[in-house]
Amino acid sequence: MKSAYIMQKEIRESILTPKGFIWYILTSIILSVLSYLFLTNSELSLLDQGQMLYLIMNFITALGVLIGLVFGADAFAGEMERGTLEALLISPLNKMEIALGKLGAAVTNWGIIFVISLPYLFVVGKGGQNVLIGIVYLAVLGTLLAVIFSAFSMGLSARIKSMKNALITSFFLFLLAGSPIFLSTAIRGTWFGSILDFINPFADAINTFDSVVIDSQGFSYQAGRVAIICGYTLLSLWFLKRSLSKLEM
Amino acid sequence: MIINVENLIKNYDGHTALDGLNFGVDEGDIFGFLGPNGAGKTTTIRILTAIIKADSGNVLIDGHDVFKEPLAVKKIINALPESNGYYEWMTAQEYLGFFSHLYDEKQSIQESDKLLVDVGLRGKEKHLIRSYSRGMKQRLGIARALINKPKLLFLDEPTNGLDPKGRRDIHDLLIALNHKHGTTIFLSTHLLDDVERLCNKIAIINYGKIVRTGELDKMKGKGTIEDLFFLSTKEGAL
Repeated sequence: MKSAYIMQKEIRESILTPKGFIWYILTSIILSVLSYLFLTNSELSLLDQGQMLYLIMNFITALGVLIGLVFGADAFAGEMERGTLEALLISPLNKMEIALGKLGAAVTNWGIIFVISLPYLFVVGKGGQNVLIGIVYLAVLGTLLAVIFSAFSMGLSARIKSMKNALITSFFLFLLAGSPIFLSTAIRGTWFGSILDFINPFADAINTFDSVVIDSQGFSYQAGRVAIICGYTLLSLWFLKRSLSKLEM
Repeated sequence: MIINVENLIKNYDGHTALDGLNFGVDEGDIFGFLGPNGAGKTTTIRILTAIIKADSGNVLIDGHDVFKEPLAVKKIINALPESNGYYEWMTAQEYLGFFSHLYDEKQSIQESDKLLVDVGLRGKEKHLIRSYSRGMKQRLGIARALINKPKLLFLDEPTNGLDPKGRRDIHDLLIALNHKHGTTIFLSTHLLDDVERLCNKIAIINYGKIVRTGELDKMKGKGTIEDLFFLSTKEGAL
């Protein structure tokens, strides 16, 4: 219950301070530009609706992960640097309650980004197949990814105790997660590429969107990748719990 | 005894912060905890308020073991840390409201306003904290530390950086709190006139050990508190 008050405080902070609000504005601007290009640019408009939708979904997922990382890195190290953490730790709630409140706020921020993106998804995907099921997959997998990356970043924030260093390490994690995207199709086709793709939660989500939206494949094709993402969610929460036990002022 | 500390040891990366600390504080005391910078004052407060764990030793707060029942301890204590930060985007009223929820103290706006009046922030309840001066923030910190009507209040250098009037006001506030509500105050400071004005008992810590403890008047004898401090911490200042 007390986690709810922490979450409420964090969400208010996101809305009332530039820290979070800038993300919403940025999301709207970038989605507007992307959608406009998809619909008006002569080359991009040659893509079919499914491919456009898939690309926008990738972008929204990446943004959700990025926001999770930033909020996670700020969670403990940022409060420590601003001198506000000690008053929270003196209060009669345990560290996990504080972390869950902050995690809830990070996921809510992802939720806000998702809601902002809905009209764009409908406009870009209009007339194409699998729009609704694609959006459902985006909601579920995006939420799980927001939990995974926020919790990892929050754990790092509790261990490293420096917001700058926690943020740098988290960004490195983000690049590592996105690395399969930068690999050539040939490398991705090898056993090495396939393993890298399979064990990477971000790539798993992207490949699931591809499979659902473009290839119109059913859940049985996605189950393995979804299970991996669920596994990472549990792993990230375990990592957060372990990191909190090491949190000292 | 409201605080009973036995053989407390804490090491940080090979450096001994507390080296077998022993002392006790009686209920109703204003207890001065003195020592040079780096002597172990803040570490002691952080252990006593269940923020960090000691490597070994025992701490009882009002009969509760700090290491085994941290939540029970946190409900009856509160503290103002040395470098307390604030959610500057909140108003003072919102700030107290937030912390009262964490303590399950369903404080009405009138109650938190009264607390703000008590610490001298009348008329500033709805101002953003970012517009507050350092002294006003310190008063707000004390109001936050009183939100759960604590039996035991830890203050770490509460008058640091305040002008003489600000310091005098904080002194008056603490004396009133102790006399009216019987709140035990554990005051960590290196400002000797704060101790002289407020405390009935003191302990002097140096290199992580208590070098002297007892009633202030008896310990001073005919000398001054400065003599007592410098004699006790001759080689301790860092």
